Amino acid sequence: MRISYVLAASLVLGCYVPVSFAADASDASVVISSPPEGAKISPKGDVNVDYEVSLGKKGDHTHLYLDSNEAVTLRGLKGSHSLGTLSPGQHEICIKVVNKAHTPIGAQKCINVSVESTT
Amino acid sequence: MFENLNYAIVQLVHNFGAAAVVGVAIFALYPAAQPVPIQRRFAWLVGIAWAAQALSGMGFGIVSYYYYEKLPDLHGIAFAALLIKITCAVGSLGIAVMYLRRAAGWTVKQRRAAWKLLIALGVTALTAAAFLRWFA
Repeated sequence: MRISYVLAASLVLGCYVPVSFAADASDASVVISSPPEGAKISPKGDVNVDYEVSLGKKGDHTHLYLDSNEAVTLRGLKGSHSLGTLSPGQHEICIKVVNKAHTPIGAQKCINVSVESTT
Repeated sequence: MFENLNYAIVQLVHNFGAAAVVGVAIFALYPAAQPVPIQRRFAWLVGIAWAAQALSGMGFGIVSYYYYEKLPDLHGIAFAALLIKITCAVGSLGIAVMYLRRAAGWTVKQRRAAWKLLIALGVTALTAAAFLRWFA
């Protein structure tokens, strides 16, 4: 019973730590080097996302999103991921640093690309 | 530090809950079926363990929301795995409650079926947990 009191007290005390102090994600960063922001892409070409990530103290891995849908979990800090061919129109590509609970900690990079129409 | 501590406490409850939901259900039947009064106590334990699983599962979301004002970001296979876990928890809690309220009138065969179903739901939830962990 005493252990449960200690665990409960730790949980309560932990929740009183100021959020700005506890959730400092300023040391994490994401760079998407390719494609560049606003790139116009051929509908026939694969879209390769080149990235470099620093996880900081709170990050564990990254999620790559295409139009707000998670496309893949990225475990590497630097590399390239192919999204294949994309449908014509505007698309948003994002990489977000997440913690072990898969919660975005704030560090992220989003770019917009335009896939040209086939006609 | 406190953020990690909070996640760790939630994880601790979740891990022991996971061990209990499968382990206790298995020990009710194997290596030998327990006497009815013991099985009733085991049903309490399994019910409490599933409740702990559900609450600690929500705990991950609560801790995340407290520190980042965001819930864990789950899509695709990971989200499907989470739904499977929730379904297992709801189903198992229901079976445990039914067992405690009505098992006195059940046949031996019906009791065995209830425990086997609890084992199956526990194993399914633990399997889904692995996919939730690595596909998110």
